[in-house]
Amino acid sequence: MEITDRLAQWMGKTESFKKFSTLPLSLVLNFVLIVPFAIMIYLSFTKWEPLAGYDWWRAPIAGIPRFIEAFGDARLAWALIRTAIFVAVVLPLEFFLGLGMALLFLGDFRGKKAFTSVILYPMMMPWVVVGLGFNLMFQYFGPVNLLILRPVFGEGAMIDWFTDPVLAFSVIMLADIWQWTPLMFLIIYAGLAAVPRRLVEAAEVLGASPSRILRTVRLPVIKPLVVIALIIRGLEAFKVFDIVYIMTGGGPGGNLTEVISLYIYKLAIVYNNTSYACAVSLIIMVAIALITRLAIKPLEVKVE
Amino acid sequence: MAKLVVKKLRKLFGTFEAVKDVSFQVEEKETLCLLGPSGCGKTTTLRMIAGLEVPTSGEILVDGVLVNDVPPQKRQIGLVFQDYAIFPHLSVFENIAYGLKVRKMPDAQIKTKVHETASLVDVESILDVPGKKLGLSEMQRVAIGRSIALDPKLLLLDEPLSNIDAKARERMRAELGKLQKEIGIATVYVTHDQLEAMTLADRIAVMRNGLIEQIGTTSEIYDNARTLFVANFIGSPSMNLIDCELVYGQECAVLKSGDFTFDVTELAKRIGEKPRGKQLVLGMRPENISLNVEKTNPEAMEAEVQLVEPVGAKSIYHIKIAGVTVLAKGYAMPGVNIGSRVWATFNRDKLHLFDKETEEGII
Amino acid sequence: MARRRGLAGRIVRYLLLIVVCAWTLAPVVWMVSLSFKGPTEWYAPNILPMQPIIDNYVNLFIPTNPIGGSYFFTSITEPVTKPLINSLIAAGLGTLFAVLVGFLAAYGVSRYRAGGTFTIFFTLLTRMLPGATFVAPLMVFYSSIRLIDTYIGLILLYTAVTLTYAIWLMKGFIDEIPPEWEEAALLEGASPWTVLRKVTIPLTKGGLAASALFIFILNWSEFLFALVISVTQVGTLPVQISKYVSAVGRMYGTQASLGIMATIPSVTLGYLIQKHLVTGFTFGRIR
Repeated sequence: MEITDRLAQWMGKTESFKKFSTLPLSLVLNFVLIVPFAIMIYLSFTKWEPLAGYDWWRAPIAGIPRFIEAFGDARLAWALIRTAIFVAVVLPLEFFLGLGMALLFLGDFRGKKAFTSVILYPMMMPWVVVGLGFNLMFQYFGPVNLLILRPVFGEGAMIDWFTDPVLAFSVIMLADIWQWTPLMFLIIYAGLAAVPRRLVEAAEVLGASPSRILRTVRLPVIKPLVVIALIIRGLEAFKVFDIVYIMTGGGPGGNLTEVISLYIYKLAIVYNNTSYACAVSLIIMVAIALITRLAIKPLEVKVE
Repeated sequence: MAKLVVKKLRKLFGTFEAVKDVSFQVEEKETLCLLGPSGCGKTTTLRMIAGLEVPTSGEILVDGVLVNDVPPQKRQIGLVFQDYAIFPHLSVFENIAYGLKVRKMPDAQIKTKVHETASLVDVESILDVPGKKLGLSEMQRVAIGRSIALDPKLLLLDEPLSNIDAKARERMRAELGKLQKEIGIATVYVTHDQLEAMTLADRIAVMRNGLIEQIGTTSEIYDNARTLFVANFIGSPSMNLIDCELVYGQECAVLKSGDFTFDVTELAKRIGEKPRGKQLVLGMRPENISLNVEKTNPEAMEAEVQLVEPVGAKSIYHIKIAGVTVLAKGYAMPGVNIGSRVWATFNRDKLHLFDKETEEGII
Repeated sequence: MARRRGLAGRIVRYLLLIVVCAWTLAPVVWMVSLSFKGPTEWYAPNILPMQPIIDNYVNLFIPTNPIGGSYFFTSITEPVTKPLINSLIAAGLGTLFAVLVGFLAAYGVSRYRAGGTFTIFFTLLTRMLPGATFVAPLMVFYSSIRLIDTYIGLILLYTAVTLTYAIWLMKGFIDEIPPEWEEAALLEGASPWTVLRKVTIPLTKGGLAASALFIFILNWSEFLFALVISVTQVGTLPVQISKYVSAVGRMYGTQASLGIMATIPSVTLGYLIQKHLVTGFTFGRIR
């Protein structure tokens, strides 16, 4: 009898504990995210700006003109395209470089720990400092020009990196690759090391060379891991903001290296075009949610 | 000429000597079993033969050719791992075909060979199943198929039945035995299960602590165990071991242990003089002790039944003879229970005698 | 194992490693070098400063014009102490709250299935969406409740943003503890709180610490929201860096010294959790 009493007591406590444990979470999330989200939905149907002269909750619902405006916005389209290009370039490069580095680190050798520590630190630097560092390196009188281009190709080879949009964008992509390849390296390396030794040995006894083993045994076994890593990194790459802001601010020409995060930021903060910013944000959010929902569905089985 | 020759093999891991001095030969179509407890070095020896470990010293010759420096890829040896190591992302067909593809065999030929092998190991019905979905016994067959598809010179198996539960193990053991006869490749088989060894091997090498204690045919090992360890390890239930001393009287020699005596005058010559005064161990397998409710044999000793364990048609009787408890295995005797009096006869031909200290057999 | 790497292979490996290290270290090496150079050397290609000075670092805290005895001016007039302290406060408290709230929630989700699938989906969602998409309504909301340019506002934001990471990471660590131990304690009459205190936390201490450090690094580096929320009071270090970069008068040396200073804490902490990075972080994510 005592045991059942105690159990009941425990049950009661469990229930309340269960609700309580996520209570702070809900509070914070509600406050910081859900309320603004609701506001965002509301505002995207209005035509309001901070300079309009009246409070935002009094703004009249104007229907969907903001959304229509979004579909006709060339600058928005370009920002999206640039961001897509960014992800499409950066992701495969980070993967292959990361794979190369992981292969380089396979096996034991002297100083492995030290080398690993060095390789990993770019991930831990604040993003703005990465942008700053690359900014400083690619200045006209910076080391890339002075130490590499001029000595190798002569005086005329020095490039003004940030006045040409393609070059500037390339430097931005380079900075991202520099910072995040180590993450790919880490994930791939951990995966490769976790491949059961027996499988490798079995392949050896069957006559396979190391490169064949890599192709036919190791890589296929880590494929699920890699896919998840690519998705995570891809989403982060889509959100890129800090390095673009620091290095070019969207320029040259005001918006030739503008990515989507930067454009929305400018809409909201610089141009104060609040309701339009809300509309664009909403569209982007819905798009991302839909796409990831579709992509995650088949993977959900593996992830959980 | 022997298919596989292993000479004075030695392997050090740091300061740990896993394999101290191992030598043996395996002929064409013969199955040799490396039998021993965990940590005796049998798996290490196997891995050295396969090329996955490099011997610290010693030689390995396959078909008369020294292969110490030949990488595992090129040794043409098949190896079946304890956990089978089936490629999970490949189908059964692709698993078996793996080695053939490495050899750049044309596709049509691969197909024929895989089907041939698959029928041999009875996996034809699951050729399309991906590796990760296979059951244990299926995996075992695929693993074997994968190795023999390459027509290796030598087949190595590392405890292939230890992952399977007891019920299925009997069946698998029978299948494996049948397969070995059909395939007919020289085989080295590693196990810690002496029953497996006895069933499947032509010859057995009993190993302990990196050394071979005894190597011989199954009947040799069983009936003529040369060391205490081998005698104890083989046989289920294990051999009865009785500490005793050799006492010489006039015209007779007797093994004595407390009140228990056993006359060995006939064997006195074979025993010789050396054991005099030393601590000895008498060994007699339970199957070699016959029981009877009446004293039909003049040499039979009186015994009291302490426990009866029925095991199928036969029973194991725990009996006490003059203060010494032994086990005897024989056909069930109805009416014989705890406390009954029976007469036990030791089969003198199957007597084992060991020096307790050196553990070596005297006869 | 029976694998011998040829000498040529080893040399190639070390060469490649050196190349990779050079590539990895280049930006930091250059920034360190710049940070010790006087203005005359800012446009020079030499890596080692010919006349090393520490004025760049000093100038961060005591902005003086001209710097280093030359005529370079800057429009930045406040020292960097305030942004530095702001970063510490925001990152520190943000991390603390994220860990507390996140741990509790992770525990609830892990052991009691609290919140249901919605919570999980929602936390995933916050990771996927760009921060910029929240900026517009956030400004409106915050200015209405007057949280713009306040510590509370910033800390609240930081907590929310890193909560997802916190829950994700810590749930992984909690999952590794066999629930039987907690159940045993519960059956002995302990309340769930006691179980947490006496059983779960001691067992997951290492993982918690690693997660906390990781989240601190994230918060320390955070830029967008700090940029949006702060006007004059709560600007963090990254915000300050952006001001330096766009300021009149290209003070490369001081930019570099500020960058180095901002990097040191996060990289140092990063080294501490490196081991965990390899094991817990990557696999915790996948699980």
